[in-house]
Amino acid sequence: MDLSQYAELFLAESREHLSTINRLLLEWERDPQASEPVAGIFRAMHTIKGMAATMGYAKVADLAHRTENLLDLLRRGERTASDEVLELLFKSADSLDQAIEASVAGRESQVDVGAVLQAVDDAASSVEKLVGRGKRARPSAPAVAAPAGAGRVVQVTLVPESPLKGARALIILQQMETLGRVHAVEPTPAAMEAEEFDGRFAFRLETEAADEAVAQAIRGGGDVERVEVASTDAVEPAVEAVGRQARHIRVDLRRLDALMNLIGELLTTRAALADISVRRADPELEEVSAKFSQLAGDLQSEIIQARMTPVWQVFDRFPRLVRDLSRKLGKQVAFRVQGKDIELDRAILDEIGDSLVHLLRNSVGHGIESPKERKAAGKPPEGVVELSAVRERAAVAIRVRDDGRGIDRAKILARAQQLGLVDADAESLSDEVLLRLLSQSGMSTAEEVSDVSGRGVGVDAVVHATRALGGGVEVHTAAGEGTTFTLRLPTTLAIVRALIARVGEERYALPITHVAETLDLGAAHVTRADERDAMTLREGVVPLVYLRRMLEIAGDAPPRSPVIVLQIGERRSGLVVDQLLGQQEIVVKAFTPPRGMLPIFSGATILGEGRPVLILDAGGFV
Amino acid sequence: MSHTVLVCDDAIFMRTMISDILTQAGYEVVGEAESGTQAVEKYAQLKPDLVTMDIVMPDMGGIDAVREIVKADPSARILMCSAMGQQALVVEAIQAGAKDFVVKPFQPSRVLEAVQRVLG
Repeated sequence: MDLSQYAELFLAESREHLSTINRLLLEWERDPQASEPVAGIFRAMHTIKGMAATMGYAKVADLAHRTENLLDLLRRGERTASDEVLELLFKSADSLDQAIEASVAGRESQVDVGAVLQAVDDAASSVEKLVGRGKRARPSAPAVAAPAGAGRVVQVTLVPESPLKGARALIILQQMETLGRVHAVEPTPAAMEAEEFDGRFAFRLETEAADEAVAQAIRGGGDVERVEVASTDAVEPAVEAVGRQARHIRVDLRRLDALMNLIGELLTTRAALADISVRRADPELEEVSAKFSQLAGDLQSEIIQARMTPVWQVFDRFPRLVRDLSRKLGKQVAFRVQGKDIELDRAILDEIGDSLVHLLRNSVGHGIESPKERKAAGKPPEGVVELSAVRERAAVAIRVRDDGRGIDRAKILARAQQLGLVDADAESLSDEVLLRLLSQSGMSTAEEVSDVSGRGVGVDAVVHATRALGGGVEVHTAAGEGTTFTLRLPTTLAIVRALIARVGEERYALPITHVAETLDLGAAHVTRADERDAMTLREGVVPLVYLRRMLEIAGDAPPRSPVIVLQIGERRSGLVVDQLLGQQEIVVKAFTPPRGMLPIFSGATILGEGRPVLILDAGGFV
Repeated sequence: MSHTVLVCDDAIFMRTMISDILTQAGYEVVGEAESGTQAVEKYAQLKPDLVTMDIVMPDMGGIDAVREIVKADPSARILMCSAMGQQALVVEAIQAGAKDFVVKPFQPSRVLEAVQRVLG
């Protein structure tokens, strides 16, 4: 059976369900008396089981099945969650996660869930002993109320193993329509289609047909366990309907990326068309061009909207991370999340996940003190770590705040002076300088390197990743009061106009934001000072950067190389390339450069012909 | 005379599997289609007693194919082949005129039960 087409969907859905399971487990841990979490965990587990069985991932299905079994016992037994059981369920969720990822990657044979399975089964049998088997029996009478109205009441129970019970019920109801008039169906069609529908439904049937004929027709619909036809008028409360959710479809993110790239090209074409229509001075052409321009703009904003994703899709995995980490380190941490519904472009959201992991690990690992230390400092033993998203005009600010000990400025200053990064006589550090220092490799002051917060390269990676997305990072820290990191991010992927330049065989894009002008190197007056070339441009001197040399491309630049003059504020720089290939609208994609790469790239894009191109960061040259 | 069947699924593996189950039970598989468009064309051409229809297929999906086939022949008997978790689509297919469904992974006995219900 070719199931590969479902593999990605399976993976995406399973991840969502696992995230739900983790969230509900945490809820349950906070309130072991609550009964809602276990029901939700059960449903998510059940769904994973069904999907995995269809995919043929036996180990995933088996683990989900047996965990579901344990959950079912807990649910029916109305047992409160013990620490051991919760720990086991967390473990099972982790194993499930690993097994799912491995199975989808074709490495199911390397998965070993034996130990977890055994533990889950042991827990199930000990719970079962306490609860007793009697509780598990399926209620034999149809529990759906008899609907009011004219006609005979028909109550149907489907066999428990019947798949897609809602669809089965619909087939039976459609067959009933051939016998007479069907009305007052309970539950509602929407509720029947819901996951929770247990296969019991009832309706009123006005028909000439005999009871026996009705029952037989219903059995002919398939998967029927039990039918009751009666002309009772007893009215009981209706079954609560389950609301229908908003209509959504799943779209592969690569489709949306491809659409974004096409929009970039469309906008480039739009500009070309506008140029032509202005040159031709043809009113008809101008009208079409204007209309085209407007439609392309509308299309762009629609697609940008379609890519917006609420931050909870990433945030939801953090409560578990913070919990595990604080337990491991023996710290008490209350983790709060705010602004979960704020939306960001999916691609941006995907990129910031790792940054947030770094920051949260730092907060729990270095920021929050041990309960003892906190008490000694007059603070409550439980520390607070807060992750929040707030809209700020066109940007979104994501903050990771802790009420821990704060970053030790004196220590950072000493280390920076030792490394010669700061004047030896500097006495203090502003937040801004502090961040700059923190984002340099080798600046870690952590006393020991741990697997908790790495080697002090975290902040470096966070700053780089955020800048690559067109955002910025701020830090505020106060001794004894805590630290706040703020990531300010654009909400949508940027489409910018860029100059496309060629150097050697490669092409590079340079956003025109910082391009002041372009000119011909042959026509410029080049001087040499301090081993550096510079050219005289009108009143000033502009240092030259030969991209060919910088990128270590062999061979000489053509004699009449173009120079791109970059300007940021008062500073200017002339970038020498081999050839200019024109301007184009490009979709800026975040990009984490491999270590050791020149710090002159801010991202990447894909040009019309599918060619990936690096985006040059003007800040790297000026 | 045995009943004739048209098997529609974009996966060769699935078509082979369904054909095998049906042939072994004495049905005559008269044609196969790998897309909704092909299913509609072949239905018109072969007039089979039964169609097994996958839901997710390239070009025209199974549900649209059901609509087209039922429009041309309201007495068409179509059995949907669904994966788990496609309940909403199965419901849509039934509303479009499909008579019954089976859920993957297939158990031959359940496929044959459904076929008998539809042809019954």
